[in-house]
Amino acid sequence: MSSLELTNVSVTARGKALIEDVSLKLAAAEFVALLGPNGAGKTTLFKAALGLLPCTGDALLDGRDVRGIPGRERAGLAAWLPQQSRITEPISVFQFVQAARFRFSETQPESKSAVEEALEAADVLKFRDRAVTQLSGGEQQRVGVAALIAQDAPLMLLDEPANHMDPSQQIELYSLIARQWRKGRGVLCITHDVNMLRHVGSEEVRVVGMADGRTQFETTYGATDLPYHVGRLFNVTMDVVESGGQRILVHQGPA
Amino acid sequence: MKMKVLLLTLASLAIVALSPWIGKSLDGDAGAFILTELRIPRVLMAVLVGGTMSLVGACYQTIFANPLAAPSTVGTTAGATLGALIAVVVAPALGLSFTGHIPLTAMFAFAGALIVSFMIAAIAATGRARVNDILLAGIAISLAAGAISAGLQYSADQLQLYAAIQWTLGHLPQVGYRGVAMILPFVLITWVVLLAQMRGLQTLLGGEDRAHSQGVNVPYLRSLVLGIGALGVGACVAWCGPIAFIGLIVPHIVRLTVGSSRRVMLPMSVVTGAGFLAACDTISRLAWPGRELPVGVVTSAIGAPLLVWLVVRQSR
Repeated sequence: MSSLELTNVSVTARGKALIEDVSLKLAAAEFVALLGPNGAGKTTLFKAALGLLPCTGDALLDGRDVRGIPGRERAGLAAWLPQQSRITEPISVFQFVQAARFRFSETQPESKSAVEEALEAADVLKFRDRAVTQLSGGEQQRVGVAALIAQDAPLMLLDEPANHMDPSQQIELYSLIARQWRKGRGVLCITHDVNMLRHVGSEEVRVVGMADGRTQFETTYGATDLPYHVGRLFNVTMDVVESGGQRILVHQGPA
Repeated sequence: MKMKVLLLTLASLAIVALSPWIGKSLDGDAGAFILTELRIPRVLMAVLVGGTMSLVGACYQTIFANPLAAPSTVGTTAGATLGALIAVVVAPALGLSFTGHIPLTAMFAFAGALIVSFMIAAIAATGRARVNDILLAGIAISLAAGAISAGLQYSADQLQLYAAIQWTLGHLPQVGYRGVAMILPFVLITWVVLLAQMRGLQTLLGGEDRAHSQGVNVPYLRSLVLGIGALGVGACVAWCGPIAFIGLIVPHIVRLTVGSSRRVMLPMSVVTGAGFLAACDTISRLAWPGRELPVGVVTSAIGAPLLVWLVVRQSR
């Protein structure tokens, strides 16, 4: 059964279609990258998939209509890392990650143990008692992934997780996400930079392109037509460079 | 942090325990009467009202993700004030007067607080309104209620005007335990229900959408907190008037002292709010020999500079 299945999903706000007739399937433990320019409707699609926005069409999580799934059950099916951190108060990293255990009815020692495991898995245990607001953007995103691990849902939705990071932080973050995928979690990840997918280490990662609120193409990371589709999606000329046995897409300018 | 929690708790408990004994000596039968029938019920009232206003303020600041949110911001106190002024100015003209165990002012103030707060809670419960829209609706309703209240004060005679001003400054004048018994059920419901929402409120600190994805039913939580908060604050304000700033200042004092975790901050807001209002009430009894300052004046006079000092110390 698909962990996420969207069929002809449309979201409208003030008479304007934000996304229109979008269909997307994600099998259990599959990695799908959602690619597209700003304003393509990628985040809106995530919100519709989580039942955060009213939509038409079918939005199924684990075969059930997301709009009818109670909050705690839904949190057990999909976890979300938003693009922007909205944390305004200096709560500690431990407290922030522990909040992701909301769906569980558990004792304090059980919760503590699960949170420490998640912090360890995301390699942020050393920040345990630091305020989240005092961390760098990259560190905050890793703590965000730790919260997803603590939530322990089989599907992770990541909205441009490596935005505003330096290259080493980007590589670390994508490697961390890839580790979670290899452990059996499904991943749906919004990105602007398709080259980041080489750190996932699989040619079979599915890439879906979105623009103007609609899906534009679907291919795999290793497919030969990827540069063509990406170039058309962003309206740029794409070149392919081989480096260290890996293919890297380089944009050369407006198409 | 544990030491700060302990110190704040001990300080609040000490203030509450010692307050009835501070002031003129309590000798003989008159002294016993003053202690048991005047001062102890007043301190008990301070504990209930201070704890409730502070807890509700802390919860409102969390659900609105806004440090300026308080019962006064979302219309609860403005609704209560309008209700009280209708009781003071309009009701006598209609031939309505106190007939039962509850003063008319308290009844009308309670109704006013609930009507306005439930209007805001209903907007929040739709799930479509964004948090700032709800806050703006609260401010708009507060301003509208304030304008009607000002009109009522303008049309009042001198005696009614004095009663109105006295009520709006906030007070804890208690003889006996009737007021305590009246508000106790509402206060207990408020404390139990709001403290049971600690985990959901803690999750909201990561942002509304993230909390939703983590399993929190945000519209339900928000309307529950607004509705139950209105019940507690409405009961307190109905009996004591809108005691200024306490719902705004005490949560900040607690947060700056023990941190932002709602698991600690919410219960500590109850404890600190109780101690803070008991201290302010004692000062209001003693500051002006022969007369009493309205306790709302004291809460503002002490709370505002204390908050500024804490903020400055924190930012260094």
